[in-house]
Amino acid sequence: MARFDETIHQPVRLRIIAALNALPEGAQLDFGTLREMLEVTDGNLATHLRKLEEEGYITVEKTFVGRHPRTYIVLTHKGRWAFAEHVQALREILVNDKSKPESG
Amino acid sequence: MTEYPILPEEAQEALKIVEQTVRQMRRAVVRGGMPHFLLLWGIVWVLGFGSTHFLGLESPQARTVWLVLTVPGIIVSMLIGWRLSDRVRSVWFGPAVGFFWLTWVIYTSLIVFFAQPQTGIQTSLLISLFAMFGYVTSGILYRSFFLSGFGALITVLIIVGYLFLPDWFNLWMAALGGGSLIAAGLYMRYAWR
Repeated sequence: MARFDETIHQPVRLRIIAALNALPEGAQLDFGTLREMLEVTDGNLATHLRKLEEEGYITVEKTFVGRHPRTYIVLTHKGRWAFAEHVQALREILVNDKSKPESG
Repeated sequence: MTEYPILPEEAQEALKIVEQTVRQMRRAVVRGGMPHFLLLWGIVWVLGFGSTHFLGLESPQARTVWLVLTVPGIIVSMLIGWRLSDRVRSVWFGPAVGFFWLTWVIYTSLIVFFAQPQTGIQTSLLISLFAMFGYVTSGILYRSFFLSGFGALITVLIIVGYLFLPDWFNLWMAALGGGSLIAAGLYMRYAWR
């Protein structure tokens, strides 16, 4: 059975990882672009990113573009793998539910 | 029997969220610059192929029109790529996109120069096919089915025009090739808001 991941399953974190996973491997997504897409506050997004970073699922890179500070987020190999496992676990839950015999 | 931490309805809902987010993300990236790219090259095709049809295949003026259109086209394409790189940093975005098309122009020019197509129509065919090769491969790299599918569709139109409408090929390319690029650019710009 694929591993169900409680950290990833939280709705905002699920969307963060899904968004990053949609990009090519190694692509870094701008913090502002992600915040606009998810329609969350800076603080809320930062909290969830910290949690994902602690798990080793993402890395956060702070840099300057010209004079402006920019934060980029990248999905790690571990994060990509954990997300694939989690999605597989979700599918297994559905498949197992459908294969259950009808009661009554 | 295996116990699951969530109900099947919740799993279904989570998968729906994943699917929506993936779609949203890809659209955000593609929308970041791709419609402008398509509109730009649609206009280049309409004016370039249109002038080739009306001024004549061997006309130096038609070649000048192509040169005048293509050089700024490539520079603007590089700027669009740069804009994309502001949102997503990757080998597939940013200046790499511009350099990809610059390399495309250099190699296409070399191939046309050395292969020496026998007629002007064959030259137009070769260049157009290489352009669509660029679209299809870009779509694969961007993971954009829309872009790849669009490139494949125009390829079919190019071949149909070459085989069945050789006398009208350049006008066909201006109207259908250029027109489709403009239509696709407008569609992405307004329908994917």
